[in-house]
Amino acid sequence: MNAPVSRDADDLVIGDNGVAVPRFNHGGTGYRTYEVHQRERVGESTEKINGSELASAGYATDPYKSLVILRENYACFRDWINNCYWITQYNDVTSIFADEANFETRSKLWYYGLSGFGRDLRQELPVLWAWSKAMDTFAETDARRLIEGFRKGSTDLARDFAAQYPILLLGRMFEVPDAELAPFAIRYRRAQRGVLWHPTAQEAGKDALRELVAYFDPKLQKTSGADTSVLAAIAGLGGTAADVVTTLLEADHETLHGILGNLWMNLLVQPASYAKVQQDRLAMKIAYLEAMRHSPPVITAERFARHEVERFGKLIPDGGLMRISALAANRDPRIFDDADSFIANRIDICHREARGHFRADGLPQGIAFGMGQPTKHPAVPEDRPRSMYALTRDTVVTASWTLAQSLPELRLKAGFTPVIRCLRIGETFTCWELPVDF
Amino acid sequence: MDALRDYASELDAEIHSTDPGGTINFPLMPVGQAVDMGHDATGKPLFDPRVFSSREFFRNPYPYYRILRDHYPVFHDKLHNTYYVTRYEDVWRCYFDDEGFNTIPKGSSSGVLGNTQLELSGVEHRRRRNLYGQHLVGRGLDLRVPSIQRLARDMIKDWDNQLDTPWVIDEGKKRIVELGAAFANEFPVRVVCEVLGFPNEAREQFFYWYNSMMSGLGGSLTHKQGLEARQSLEDYVQDIVEERRRKPSFLKDEDGKIIGKDIITKLCETKVDGDYLSTEEITSNIALIVAAGGETTRGAIINMWYLLLQHPDQFAALCANPGETWDRAFHETLRHSSPIGGQPRHNTFDVDMHGMHVPAGSLMQMVDFSANHDDRVFKDPEKFDIFRDDLYSGKLLRSGFMKEGRCAHMAFGVGPHLCPGAWISHQEAVEGSKILQKTLKNMRLCTERQPKDIDGESLAPVGIVRVPQLWLEYDRA
Repeated sequence: MNAPVSRDADDLVIGDNGVAVPRFNHGGTGYRTYEVHQRERVGESTEKINGSELASAGYATDPYKSLVILRENYACFRDWINNCYWITQYNDVTSIFADEANFETRSKLWYYGLSGFGRDLRQELPVLWAWSKAMDTFAETDARRLIEGFRKGSTDLARDFAAQYPILLLGRMFEVPDAELAPFAIRYRRAQRGVLWHPTAQEAGKDALRELVAYFDPKLQKTSGADTSVLAAIAGLGGTAADVVTTLLEADHETLHGILGNLWMNLLVQPASYAKVQQDRLAMKIAYLEAMRHSPPVITAERFARHEVERFGKLIPDGGLMRISALAANRDPRIFDDADSFIANRIDICHREARGHFRADGLPQGIAFGMGQPTKHPAVPEDRPRSMYALTRDTVVTASWTLAQSLPELRLKAGFTPVIRCLRIGETFTCWELPVDF
Repeated sequence: MDALRDYASELDAEIHSTDPGGTINFPLMPVGQAVDMGHDATGKPLFDPRVFSSREFFRNPYPYYRILRDHYPVFHDKLHNTYYVTRYEDVWRCYFDDEGFNTIPKGSSSGVLGNTQLELSGVEHRRRRNLYGQHLVGRGLDLRVPSIQRLARDMIKDWDNQLDTPWVIDEGKKRIVELGAAFANEFPVRVVCEVLGFPNEAREQFFYWYNSMMSGLGGSLTHKQGLEARQSLEDYVQDIVEERRRKPSFLKDEDGKIIGKDIITKLCETKVDGDYLSTEEITSNIALIVAAGGETTRGAIINMWYLLLQHPDQFAALCANPGETWDRAFHETLRHSSPIGGQPRHNTFDVDMHGMHVPAGSLMQMVDFSANHDDRVFKDPEKFDIFRDDLYSGKLLRSGFMKEGRCAHMAFGVGPHLCPGAWISHQEAVEGSKILQKTLKNMRLCTERQPKDIDGESLAPVGIVRVPQLWLEYDRA
């Protein structure tokens, strides 16, 4: 029989709450709590990957190779080289994405070090309404404008459609006339690229922000007042040109641009699947959802721990950076069947907009960072437009459906093998070259 | 679309850029010159954080730190999620502000070595640091100097038995030695082994623990070996601890006179908050002493000899007047080519430094390398000069030294976290070097064997941490 646990006074300590508890570690055995969290044991080693791989040229062109190693071996990988924690399994990723109590996002202005530059007005109702009306109104029109501008018989869908389509829409929303569209687009893209780590891009980005403010300043004084004008909505709110630029910067067009390229690449490399999608607009929507799952245009999102928190068996320090990967999570075989395959009519994926969670109808959703977490509203509220998630989905489906119907003979240029990649680490993960014949 | 033709052209240029977006090969520059990474509109040089992982940076880091000091005193490296603090005065202030710039949470070493005082702050740090720090300073250290000298003499004498190894070569009247393999790599570890009170028969095992744990730090590809070595060390130490708890062990001088208890015995007898230290805690402290005691001193010895022998006039002056000149050589080496790059800190609160807003909890890398080359503090900092008048080379002080026109180097840090092994490291390097100098006649660099720089002729620079090999030759008696 075991000896009874000692309860001598010397073996007890009185805690802050007045409760007597046995003294820990008495006699020099056992562990203190911080040791348990901190020390790695044999079996917890992470030699299958080196953090430097996750900031390499190879990662920019083929991130999935490294992410699979993480997902299947190290659910929460402490990356000492890049000073962050990588989260790659579906349930872990979604749990952080929905956990605003413990993890926070930081604005693009923060990355620029320009926190007081301007206000992001995307949550203002007039702005939301204008945004949604513009997308609904011009989604098809602008797709047609681009298609009509294609050279006869061939084009590059990535450059001439996916990359330009969001710019046309933004031009509508911000009242940029055609003649000024190219300089606007160049500055806008430079501003987006400057958010990240590349020094030349950062400088070009800062210049672009200043130039955009100078461009919008006079325009803000004489807006059209149209209900599809975000610029007019911001003017109505008393916003400044810096607010306009900040709103543009924070909204970005990464998802819209990236997913158009990735959707069409996946469709065109599977002509049989594409033939079916071409016949049915609903099938195009499902193909879009599958593209968001299989080839999300944003590989990782960043979250920062608001305070020290224990998750996934690790003590995440206050301010700790979590790199949570949609790409790895969306191909988690624990969640999706045949996860690495693009299946245009996939059935084990949620077809409705998830609300307040990442599953609906009992099915998981492809995670799409660019559009924020799922709306918390159980249904679309009367006083608010549809969520950005729904707007983006509907716009992409409309644009893609218009393209498919306008060019029924659309096919990948013979002999060309398209790839999805980032031009720089952290940037949009999309198909940048997609030559087609029609 | 015509309206977007210019935009499409810019995209095309990006798509076909030769920069792959990740790590790139920076060209190797002459020592002292930085790669041109571009300029902003005002002419300010830009800084590409990818250079930190380049071969160029590892052999030629100082011009890059100069750019940071002069233009980005707090540099936010967004690629590696780190802020670099590079000016002497800033590093100094942060080291002293234990509350604002804490060592929690955890450096990469803690996973392998276990919890040590490196990751603690405030009272908890002071208590634990003093547990063993007290044995590495003052009279406790003075008493150990004779055994340090004996170990050095024994190792040099043993070269006669190592003629079958690649690092000891007899060529007629001269002998060629690779000082790293023949002396510097092993000497500090032997000292640590003895000071800790490890039995002699454990020495070989000790090198395995040391090498494996060091190479396993930071989640590297040899992480597993590091953890296995740490476990093996713990298994071994467990038995010793139980034995020492029952029966203390003593260090003796050459005459057999007891000079004190060994550190393991002392740790076994130590209580924190009324509790004896656990075996885990003792092992972690031992692991830290092993790791820190070996690497720093090894680098200091090799770098010091490499630099001295490249400056024969200074070496001659040192030989003519050894004494305190060795202290100067040691400190100038650690200023000029420190084997320790810096220490990580995390800011407890949001801070603004030099116009940079750093959110609480950020990793702020205090770059000792850079602080030691700050020309706001040291004149002509790239020059190795053991007689420089702006470097303090007296006893290392936790309070630092920044007065009378002289400043202490930062190689061991300063403030509450000043390396507790700084003094013993100094004694090892200086006493070991004195014996080398006395024993080896007409010592000089063996330039034919010494690794060369990119031009194929000049000797390779020390670069980051230490020169990988040091080939010496001397006249046989």
